[in-house]
Amino acid sequence: MDQLTDVLTAISHPTRRAIIGKLAAGPARFTDIAEPFDTALNAVTKHLKLLERAGLIQRKKQGREVYISFRAEPLRQVAGWVHEYEQFWNERLDQFEQHFQKKKQQKEKK
Amino acid sequence: MSESKKTIEVKVERTIPAPAVEVFDAWLDPKIPGNPWNMAEKLLLNPHVDGFFYWLIQGTSHYGRFTEIERPRRIQHTWMSRSTSGEESTVTVTFQKKGEDTLMTLVHSGLPDTEGGRGHEKGWNFFLDNFLKKFTEASGEKA
Repeated sequence: MDQLTDVLTAISHPTRRAIIGKLAAGPARFTDIAEPFDTALNAVTKHLKLLERAGLIQRKKQGREVYISFRAEPLRQVAGWVHEYEQFWNERLDQFEQHFQKKKQQKEKK
Repeated sequence: MSESKKTIEVKVERTIPAPAVEVFDAWLDPKIPGNPWNMAEKLLLNPHVDGFFYWLIQGTSHYGRFTEIERPRRIQHTWMSRSTSGEESTVTVTFQKKGEDTLMTLVHSGLPDTEGGRGHEKGWNFFLDNFLKKFTEASGEKA
């Protein structure tokens, strides 16, 4: 598969977009990334593998910890086709929606 | 501002599982993830008609003035950043009751027709086709 296809695959899932959203704020450890999601850890690992294949994240070892950081370059390839604000608002609204979904799930658990 | 300049409009919709008034209030609360004021490096926010905002994120400044605040139905404000090339664009967010949920529609209009924008016009359908195809394939895969 070409890189563009990898990037499109990587951003086609809301969880992966949420991971990108989190990493856009700064590098994080695997546990920090997995923490907000209800999915199994190996599902998060698979999401990270797809993001890595697309070149959207990279891992760096710092002492004992491995930090995962976001690389925006591959998205620019896609951004040539989508207005940057289309991408911006989609990412924002995904996070916003996810906030309410989590809130609803917490209410239902009670 | 020149009237002859071509502009672009971006529209994004989401169904939010909460009542409109809750969604409306959350959209103006900087603590809630996903709204434009969240994750700010610096934020000045005065969400009243003719109130201003300043939002600094990843080193990029955004400025605007609220032009409509109609709780819980509609919020409109202007939006200027490096990406609007100095033009004053407009963000309109509406909240419509949809059963127990709220249909949220965000329209960002008056965006300058820059190179990225023209690319959008030419390539959006191509992108969307591929994106949807990938999305369908991805959802068919075992995650």
